[in-house]
Amino acid sequence: MFRILKKSLKTGIVTGTYPGAETASGQIEPAARDKVRPFRRSLTIREVDTGSCNACEMEMNALVNPVYDAERLGLHIAASPRHADALVVTGPVTVNMERALKDVYKQTPHPKIVIALGDCAIDCGLFKGSYAVTGPVDRHIPVDVRIPGCPPRPAAILAALAALREKEGQS
Amino acid sequence: MAEATAAAALLHAEFPAAVRESLMVQGIPALRVFKEQIPLLAHYLHTKPDLRASLSLLWAVDHRPRESRDELWYLFTLEERKDWLLLCADVQDGDRLFRSITPHIHAAKWYEREVRDLFGLIPVGHPDMRRLVRHEHWPKGAHPLKKDFAWDTVLRRAEGRYAFRHIEGEGVFEVPVGPIHAGIIEPGHFRFSVAGEPIMQLEVRHFWKHRGVEKLFERRSLTDGVALAERVSGDTSVGHSVAYCQAVESLMAIEVPPRARYLRSLFLELERLHNHLGDIGAMCNDTAYVLPHAHCSRMKERLMQLNDRLTGSRFLRGITRVGGVCLDVSPPQWNDLLAEIETVEADFSDLERILFANASLTDRLETTGVLSEQIAWDHAVVGVVGRASGIDRDLRRDRPFAAYADLKPCVALYRYGDVRARMRVRMDEVHESCRLIRAIHRKLPEGPVAGEPVSEPAQGAWALSGVEGWRGEILYMVMAGEAGGIHRCKVRDPSFVNWPAIQWAAVGNIIPDFPLINKSFNLSYAGNDL
Repeated sequence: MFRILKKSLKTGIVTGTYPGAETASGQIEPAARDKVRPFRRSLTIREVDTGSCNACEMEMNALVNPVYDAERLGLHIAASPRHADALVVTGPVTVNMERALKDVYKQTPHPKIVIALGDCAIDCGLFKGSYAVTGPVDRHIPVDVRIPGCPPRPAAILAALAALREKEGQS
Repeated sequence: MAEATAAAALLHAEFPAAVRESLMVQGIPALRVFKEQIPLLAHYLHTKPDLRASLSLLWAVDHRPRESRDELWYLFTLEERKDWLLLCADVQDGDRLFRSITPHIHAAKWYEREVRDLFGLIPVGHPDMRRLVRHEHWPKGAHPLKKDFAWDTVLRRAEGRYAFRHIEGEGVFEVPVGPIHAGIIEPGHFRFSVAGEPIMQLEVRHFWKHRGVEKLFERRSLTDGVALAERVSGDTSVGHSVAYCQAVESLMAIEVPPRARYLRSLFLELERLHNHLGDIGAMCNDTAYVLPHAHCSRMKERLMQLNDRLTGSRFLRGITRVGGVCLDVSPPQWNDLLAEIETVEADFSDLERILFANASLTDRLETTGVLSEQIAWDHAVVGVVGRASGIDRDLRRDRPFAAYADLKPCVALYRYGDVRARMRVRMDEVHESCRLIRAIHRKLPEGPVAGEPVSEPAQGAWALSGVEGWRGEILYMVMAGEAGGIHRCKVRDPSFVNWPAIQWAAVGNIIPDFPLINKSFNLSYAGNDL
């Protein structure tokens, strides 16, 4: 017990010890801002991987580590789409995942927003055109926010989500 | 190579009627045999006590348009000195059948189903003829790696059902999980049959993320495939890109300068470090012990920020190229790196003391998810999972690449095969990686960081390469096509061989322990599905 406390005291607070994102978010459309307004200061996210290389997943996981600690900004990760306000979709939509993605979208209660995370989700990246890929996310479900990068850094994801939830005139 | 050459000669002498010719491919002894004889020879290699060859890779090549024939290649690793030996059989003249070796060699099970799905060649005698890569809604006759299948074909949607294996009886239930899971992880389907709490059977249904990676490689030139290799499995960007580059380098006779070899080892160890730290934390998290998870993910984040400072990429992407590496590490960067490694290792050692003192954690980890040495060997399990089950294999020692011949890594080996053993392997490897990074710094030679191609490879020439990534051995087979293109690229992530083994490790455990077992394997879905 003493050892554990000592370790925590020695470590101190690490939250926020990361370099800022150079580009403050992608272009957030005003329509997306309006859609996200009902959620006010909390946003519950369900992450759906439709064929990424798992780098985007690693960065999403990094968001909840003590350094980024997305919970302090009101961002929660839900275990089920039925508990989610926002779907974060990564990867090009593969032939095998197409139906699962549409199902998840249907299962997510209204109002909801969809965030395409990473270059693959936005335009299929290197996998564009492949027989096993049906297209980017917005071919199957409406996308409100796009966060580019391969993969986007956690700081960039946080910046984009902050920009999304900014009140008008604040930026 | 003496062992493999002797084994090839022995096979030739024992079965003179089966062998058509014996040859050497890039220094690996190979036997071209009649396809009917493959099971006989494979069984002999696999079971003869002084050979105990395990199947490391099985792949097919469609030689059209040059020749109208398909070739099947079987790569065996011999037990004693881990030498490689190849068997090859032709399937030609419109014949689509070959004899399955799965009844003798478990490890071939998924490979042969994969060959059937992607090439339309049928493994006669295979005990499980269900589809693997092609899900049931794929139309009949769509075999993407055949040369007459266009890379951008739009697949029609057919109807079909996947037949799961059922256990029936009073009180037996099936629990389907996935493809979309509760955590932030990749998609895959698990089907548990349970009677009460214990798992009676687990069936893994994967390939949801199949993106057609091997077909996409065929559209690239040899020198231009690195970006795709980095995206086979994002967490193993360096492992895959180095494995790809090594194969191309031996095709093009490129001499990689010593400094580049050392830097490759450095980046491989950095990748191993941050992944192992993340895994150790995540395993604790799955026993509801959140504190080590917080510490480990904090350390992992430090290392990823270090990666970013060194190379401009948190995943160390864009640093490997055919011929060497793209960037050097400057002296101030070395100081930063060594200081950071020092801090993280001390930090981690503190945490280890906390973990080892925790009896309730040990209780959860010990005897959970046991993968016995016999099952591990039967499935030719590799990497961390294998080394936790007594399979003493590590390509860094067995077939040294990059700078590992000079660095002489120590291999962590445990025998219990439970979750704790897999955690201990990772803990030992964290320290070993720190040691290796310091050794790389001490021994780093001066000189250029990239070599230039010497020769254009002949069409149809091919090379194999193996890299011990953090998860286990990554194998690449690259065959040159016309005008510097790629005719075929076979990618094998260690996940592909370890996934079938997890089905055995779960049996007898309770479902709430499965996430923990799965985490202790931590296999890639993307690298498996391709």
